[in-house]
Amino acid sequence: MGFYEGLNEEKYDRQYNDRDLAQRILDYFTAQRKRVVVILLLTLLLAVITAAQPVIISKGLDTLKILPSLTASLLIGGIVLFIGIADWGLNWARRRLTVRTVGDVVLNLRLLAFRAAVDHDLSFYDQFSSGRIVSRINADTITLGELVTIITDVSAQILNAILLGIIIVRTEWRLSLVLFAFLPFIFLLALFFRRMARKVTRSGMQAMADVNSAIKETVSGIAIAKNFRQESGIFETFHAANRTSYRVNVWRGFILALVWPALNTLAGIATAALVYAGGLSAAQGAVTIGVWYLFIISLGRFFDPVMNLSAFWSNIQSGLSAAERIFALMDAEPNVVQTERRDVLKLKGGIRFENVSFRYVDQEPVLIDFSLTIHPGENLAIVGHTGAGKSSLAKLIARFYEFQSGRILVDGADIRTFNLQQYRRQLGIVSQIPFLFSGTVAENIRYACPEPECVTNADIMSMARKIGDGEWLETLPNGLATVVGERGTMLSMGQRQLVALLRVLMQKPAIFVLDEATASIDPFTEWQIQQALSMILAESTSILIAHRLSTVKAADRIIVLEKGRILEEGNHDGLLQQGGHYATLYNTYFRHQSLAYVEQARNLVTK
Amino acid sequence: MVAPALITGGFFDSVTTSSQVSEFTLTRHHTTDRRNPVRWILSHTTRYWWLMLIMFIGAIGNAALAAYVPVLTGDAFNAMLNVPPETKVLLPLALIMGGTQILRGILQLGRNFGAELIAQRIERDVRDELYVSLLGKSMTFHNLQPVGDTMARSTNDVREVNYMFSPGINLVVGSLVFLIVPFFFAPIYHWSLLLTPVVFTIAYFIALRWYLRTLNPITEDVRDSFGQMNTHLSEALDGIETMKGAAQEEAEVKRFNLNSRRLRDNNIRQGDVEARFVPLLLYFIALAGGLLHAILLYRSGILNIGNVVAYFGILLMLEFPTWTSIWAYSLISSGLASGQRILDLINRETNLDQNAAGYTQPMRGEIEFHNLTFAYPTGEAVLRDVSFTVKPGQTVAIVGQTGTGKTSLAKLVNRTYDATGGKVLVDGVDVRDWNLASLRSQISIIEQDVFLFSRSVADNIAFGKPRATKEEIETAARSAQADEFINQFEKGYQTVIGERGVTLSGGQRQRLAIARAFLTDPRILILDDSTSAIDSATEDRIQRAIAAAARGRTTLIITHRLSQIRWADLIIVLRKGRIAAIGNHDELLKTSDAYARIFRE
Repeated sequence: MGFYEGLNEEKYDRQYNDRDLAQRILDYFTAQRKRVVVILLLTLLLAVITAAQPVIISKGLDTLKILPSLTASLLIGGIVLFIGIADWGLNWARRRLTVRTVGDVVLNLRLLAFRAAVDHDLSFYDQFSSGRIVSRINADTITLGELVTIITDVSAQILNAILLGIIIVRTEWRLSLVLFAFLPFIFLLALFFRRMARKVTRSGMQAMADVNSAIKETVSGIAIAKNFRQESGIFETFHAANRTSYRVNVWRGFILALVWPALNTLAGIATAALVYAGGLSAAQGAVTIGVWYLFIISLGRFFDPVMNLSAFWSNIQSGLSAAERIFALMDAEPNVVQTERRDVLKLKGGIRFENVSFRYVDQEPVLIDFSLTIHPGENLAIVGHTGAGKSSLAKLIARFYEFQSGRILVDGADIRTFNLQQYRRQLGIVSQIPFLFSGTVAENIRYACPEPECVTNADIMSMARKIGDGEWLETLPNGLATVVGERGTMLSMGQRQLVALLRVLMQKPAIFVLDEATASIDPFTEWQIQQALSMILAESTSILIAHRLSTVKAADRIIVLEKGRILEEGNHDGLLQQGGHYATLYNTYFRHQSLAYVEQARNLVTK
Repeated sequence: MVAPALITGGFFDSVTTSSQVSEFTLTRHHTTDRRNPVRWILSHTTRYWWLMLIMFIGAIGNAALAAYVPVLTGDAFNAMLNVPPETKVLLPLALIMGGTQILRGILQLGRNFGAELIAQRIERDVRDELYVSLLGKSMTFHNLQPVGDTMARSTNDVREVNYMFSPGINLVVGSLVFLIVPFFFAPIYHWSLLLTPVVFTIAYFIALRWYLRTLNPITEDVRDSFGQMNTHLSEALDGIETMKGAAQEEAEVKRFNLNSRRLRDNNIRQGDVEARFVPLLLYFIALAGGLLHAILLYRSGILNIGNVVAYFGILLMLEFPTWTSIWAYSLISSGLASGQRILDLINRETNLDQNAAGYTQPMRGEIEFHNLTFAYPTGEAVLRDVSFTVKPGQTVAIVGQTGTGKTSLAKLVNRTYDATGGKVLVDGVDVRDWNLASLRSQISIIEQDVFLFSRSVADNIAFGKPRATKEEIETAARSAQADEFINQFEKGYQTVIGERGVTLSGGQRQRLAIARAFLTDPRILILDDSTSAIDSATEDRIQRAIAAAARGRTTLIITHRLSQIRWADLIIVLRKGRIAAIGNHDELLKTSDAYARIFRE
């Protein structure tokens, strides 16, 4: 173990210093103090026992010079057997304890890291992709756990080597110089091979990634190639990629195939040297034949520790980097801070922005001194170009982000004083690409209130039937029990939107926030979405980031937003007549959705 | 170094395919046995028999020369124990030992690199065979087979087959030889010394089998529980906004705790089994027993001290197989499992035939569905009793909700799928009686997700007509309303898609595909349109592009666009796989409520 580890490790800039990190890692082990102490004791004992084995054998060999008694023979065999069993047994106990210690530490770190990830507000997720956070929680914790295994294993080997080293130096220092002379060479050779292995592994990985993407492209392109009868062309592309992969990997394979033969040869030469030097000493009577043999069989004992030592430092470094990434995840300061945690009673849904200024971390301001009042039960549509601040308004209402100045009041109370969980339970939010969790359609509909008594299947069914006579249900292969797949990908976009809207309908929120989808949906499903939407609009205060003409028309009030400022407000017909910003926006984004456009479409294309 | 893969022509249209069912074949000198994974992998190996030979010679030579170290050490001991010591032989012995170890290094390299070469070549060959077989499979196959799954098999599984040889078989052969070599060297000293190696080998295999049997299901559990934790974790964090919006943090934390605990428990179970690795205990017992045996023989005067030293050294060789075989055997079993998965894909039948003798006239573009029924091979019915006729040059809009069979209906026309009942006629001829190549070359499909290769824009447009001139390409792009955005790229038509962040929107991809279709000028165009225009100006362009594409050819459009539906010559409304309504716009307004209400503002 160890030697081949971390060959493909990326360089990582460190922020914390080694001392603090080590201290902090140790803190996580204090809960495991007893186990750690026992592991250390067992490691020590193991080092002593494994060092004793060659010594016993060499002593035994010396007793052979005069014919040993039966008892003496049995004793030699017995001691060697005992050492073997003890070695195995102690290792067993040590590894059992290690796996438990590491398991508990990793578990604890994982839970804390996940808790921290869940508690972070959305500004954190803007900075770090969720994929990277996932790898900190599941992969970096493993690397950190392995660090412990590596340290204990390597230190056991090194301890063993040191003990044996002391023994052989005290036995015959001149002969031990012959043995030690080879160790630097083994170390350097191992270091060299590790470097080489690292290099070829990386270039191998790179080539492999290129080849895989070429293969991916050619595999995905098969259907299109067949469509145009270009099979031979695409085969050539594939074939070239496949050959490149072969060439790179053969070279990598050659380097890796070289490691052990080279080291074994060096070890063989060292053994030959010891046989020669030791034999001369034995012939001169400077050492016994037992001591001679001790040197020959001890050589191998220095091998593994020296090899692993060559990889030790980089293993430690990658463990510390992993630790740092985990701690950084836990330490990130929250941006959304609640001043109080007041209980939130049933809301009416009045919202007031008072001189609110807002910017995302390290970015241009989105809202400057923004004020807006939304009355309870009002349906407000927000329109504007991309980047006007429409989504930001919605996200501030959901308290996903912290604003820098001003106040947001909900039913007259400062949003910063709420118990957020209670507050959000009264919000219904549907984002542009509705997110579904893997599970069934029914489970997703009751996601906000998973307890069975909260939303029954009958409730869902009767609600589903109210939308277009439940026609959309017949497109789901198993009705409400249909599995939606990871992130809902087994449903069409339209179906996902309907599920998300039903989720909100079951929740009966006081405030409904909709970031309308831009995806194209078949007109029949679209019509059903329209129905679901109007059912929600009738019951709650709604903030609609509108992309559909029908939604804009359904709103009580439209505000036109640009660069965080309200340019115009009013209803559809009034604003259109004004011929101002709204009219321009209408011509840019909504014109093609009108029936008038549909009727003129024929003229458009014949022009 | 590379054995040339012999591609001697024989693409689809050539004569070599007469007896084949495949849509694409290459003539290869090496054929493989596809009856089961063992035979199959073996048949890949036989062409590299000389590499196998090198590997075996390397393995045997390596182990035999490794055994020479204790043998020569024993000789040295005997020489020194003579009275007086024969110091003269010491230098030659040491030199022989050094020399044999250099030779051993070379042989071991031969074993390692031989195995590595076989592994890499087999990876290359297997992937090649899989790819060629994929190219030969029907469109139906590719439509039903998820790309992700094919990818996994042609990368990960192919790689597993590689690992099966290096280090898998390399280590198995290497360690087996190390187990067997003592059988030959021990009897040199006394025949009874065979006892320990033989008993150890038997006990070792029993213990190893038991060990692997106990471990494998637990390893599986560990993998499953890790997968489960990981899936839920990444899903939870991807859906963080939804989770927070629904105030479900506590529920997710609880679920994560449960998953991580289960993983920890499984890790501990695995660790416990690994800690109790009985073969190691057997090795220690063998050392002690063998040593005692040798000493007893020494007492009886059968062995001398040098023999004891040599024999003990030979027993120490057993350490290598004790350790390595743990994972070497699992590499082989996972390699075979991967081989099975690849073979499944290769052997999956493709039931469409070329019908080379079929109808090959120029197409007019008339389509007729006659009492058509279609079900997937899984038995799930998709379309029932569908009948309609399309005249040449007409534009047909196919509408309906997701899962009503719109796409399947369109794909029956070019025989991506074949009808289960009833028939599809093109120009009055059953599509099954058409020469497949002739049928398909006159029909173009533009799929929902347009696939573009990482090549230049121009190459992508000219994909169906590689010899198209620059002018032809640009004219096609103009008609497809694509030239405007293409010219906005720094390198225009030479821009490589996917390079340096060049990404295209769905609408842009679709217009490139339309340009592609202009160049091949099909008689029937099938357009699966699910793009949406963010702004009205883009919508204008899409309208023009589609109208231009539909002009002068029969066009089936699966569309969400009211304007496309409104002006189609024929509108087919599908519901649950049946035609719910059919006719032109004015007729449907009267006959279908569902249709009428989508045109109500």
